[in-house]
Amino acid sequence: MAYDEAEVISRCQQGDQEALRAIFEQYQKKVYRIAYGVVRRREDAHDIVQEVFIKLFRSIKNFRGKSQFYTYLYRMAMNTALDHVRKMKRTRSSSLDEEGSPQPADEIENRPDQILYQKELEEKLKEALEKLPSDQKATLIFREIEELSYQEIAETMGCSIGTVMSRLHYGRKKLQELLKDDLKRDF
Amino acid sequence: MSKRLEPYFDQELTGEERRQVDEHLRECRTCQESFKLMERIRGAIKQPVDGAVEKEDFQLMWQNIQREIRLRESPSWLESIRVWLDISPLLQKKVWIPALATMAILVFVTVPILFKKSPSPSVLSVVEYVDSPTYNVMVYESEKPEVTVIWLFEGQGEELSTS
Repeated sequence: MAYDEAEVISRCQQGDQEALRAIFEQYQKKVYRIAYGVVRRREDAHDIVQEVFIKLFRSIKNFRGKSQFYTYLYRMAMNTALDHVRKMKRTRSSSLDEEGSPQPADEIENRPDQILYQKELEEKLKEALEKLPSDQKATLIFREIEELSYQEIAETMGCSIGTVMSRLHYGRKKLQELLKDDLKRDF
Repeated sequence: MSKRLEPYFDQELTGEERRQVDEHLRECRTCQESFKLMERIRGAIKQPVDGAVEKEDFQLMWQNIQREIRLRESPSWLESIRVWLDISPLLQKKVWIPALATMAILVFVTVPILFKKSPSPSVLSVVEYVDSPTYNVMVYESEKPEVTVIWLFEGQGEELSTS
């Protein structure tokens, strides 16, 4: 059965959980990618996605259809993930050694030195991302992970395309400075 | 040209603009390095995400969402009372503390008065009356205390004796 977004949203606004399931199936991976992009930890990303869809079910009545639905959902996902990071910073106890730590790309390369490098890079990237202002981090994640266009990012974040370009530029510049030694390494 | 490098990298340029940057990139080593660095950052940000998505159990996630929504829709009776207390504006203002205290005092004062057993006056009731030409006899009785009064009259209303 085809996914008719307007119809599904309308049913969900009336409290239909099956409609929420249809929205979940449509957007689960996208929301997860945003969440993971911010927190860089599977368990946290899992919790954030759950929280986002529970929030969505309670607040979807407020969605008036003036903007695209995905911008509404992505904004909610990003704000929930950023809030989660703020809470984590206050009760910092996570360690990269514990289970569920950031996953290196060991699916792609199986060489031990490559795995170690990816793990170190991921750790440093996580630290570097945390040093970015929230709006730069959100813009980078929308662009690099979700692959949204400048126009789509501007709509989602409620800013101009110029602001999006500026945030991307300064975000990338800052990451390059923070990761310059790690990114230059070749295999 | 360096200003166009990021929009080029993000595929935000038109066909002609792209062609110009392509040409420039072939010759400019600095821009090539910048481009490569942006690619590496993108890869570093994106690769672990792709791996994590593949490992995730979205079915379990949906079940958790459903359970959580149901829990919040049908709270326990204790939770219902708590919610009711939270939303009741009168109770929120704590006016119920003096109100309840006043009511309790009123109950303690009025209940003993209302239910106090007052001794009822012993009512004598005539149980027998005998009319004769010589004496008239009237017998009264009361239940509590058990008293019997016999009244003797002589002639026209003259009292003789009582016992």
